[in-house]
Amino acid sequence: MSNGTEEIGERIVGLLPRLRRFARSLSRNQHDADDLVQAAVERAWKNSAQLRPGANLGSWMFGIMKNAWIDDRRARGRRGEVPLPDDSGSHPAVSTADIDLKMWSVSEAMSKLPEDQRLAIALVLVEGQSYKEAAEVLDIPIGTLTSRLARGRSALAAALADEHEGDLA
Amino acid sequence: MNYDDETLMAYADGELDAARRAEIATALEKDPALTRRVEKHRALRAEVASAFAGVVDQPVPERLVAAANGETMAAGKERTPRHDKVLQFPSRGARAPGPGWGVREWGAMAASVVLGVLISWRVFAPSEQGLLAVNGGALVAHGDLATALDRQLASDQRRDEPVQIGVTFKSRDGNYCRSFALPATRTAGLACRVGGDWQVAATAVTEIPAGQVQQAASAMPAAVLAAIDARIAGEALDAAGEENARLGGWDK
Repeated sequence: MSNGTEEIGERIVGLLPRLRRFARSLSRNQHDADDLVQAAVERAWKNSAQLRPGANLGSWMFGIMKNAWIDDRRARGRRGEVPLPDDSGSHPAVSTADIDLKMWSVSEAMSKLPEDQRLAIALVLVEGQSYKEAAEVLDIPIGTLTSRLARGRSALAAALADEHEGDLA
Repeated sequence: MNYDDETLMAYADGELDAARRAEIATALEKDPALTRRVEKHRALRAEVASAFAGVVDQPVPERLVAAANGETMAAGKERTPRHDKVLQFPSRGARAPGPGWGVREWGAMAASVVLGVLISWRVFAPSEQGLLAVNGGALVAHGDLATALDRQLASDQRRDEPVQIGVTFKSRDGNYCRSFALPATRTAGLACRVGGDWQVAATAVTEIPAGQVQQAASAMPAAVLAAIDARIAGEALDAAGEENARLGGWDK
């Protein structure tokens, strides 16, 4: 392995925690999320020749992850698969910390959003990317990103409000 | 002047240029309804961000590290769906959530903790010098401790910060109180905002097994738990509540 590829490997390893978080916010359980990360990373190595020197590896990786996620959803749709429910204990009351309960409920709410809005929310709200960075990853104009983000936010707020009501019922 | 939702969202996200930002800041001062709309954007952002924040601190499965290094899976080595082998991954620079900072979780852990309030100078000296001062007969937070209590959010702090913030809540007399831990010196405590100072209401030693520094943030001594129980009015604040309290300068 040349130094160049070793360096890319190291940098991708460094990105893994963030890639897992991004994937988790798109998937409904951690296992699917990690499968997605693995698929994206393998795809990145297959296409590593396309990575130009000086290009932003992070944006490139997040972009590959987005494509891998969309492809996976199409494939599941064709196979008629129903995604597994969340695996974080299913019933969060059992021995899971508050943080898992929160992740579970936000995850549920996000899964109801259309794909394009979910991606915008995941990149900006979960990953903390700027509008410019997120638009670059999704390969869309900033205006499109902001309108998806705004629509996604109001849908998400409504879904979360529904859940909170459900909690009380 | 009315602003559309996308503009207020971009303001809340810090995405407007300086001129536009100043214009909206001025409008907000005069218009509580507008302020509420901005706050809603901020609260949702904080809720979504903190929900997933913990993932970056989890150990990364070995299979992902291998894939990231460009290693293909060895033949015959199957993916083990629900029981991935994990590799401890250093969460350098990673943002941690308030990990399990519910009062109940602390209670459960308190069993492994030495009892008794120990406002002992030995605890703070010598590496923690300058974290406490005396003001009008009260011990108040000073230096890095005061800064962390002022600024740090449990929902958005790094695990390697020298001061770890725990729960934030309103006390029965209406003051904000925050619990904290100083992992390096195995000390935890509670401070309440009184007249511009963070008065230290309790401190205690946490008994953390060597090599588990990360646990220091979540193991809360019974004495500090008792100090919290004695003061707390209602529930501890969530991420959005914590951020709002900070925005308000911890004023009652």
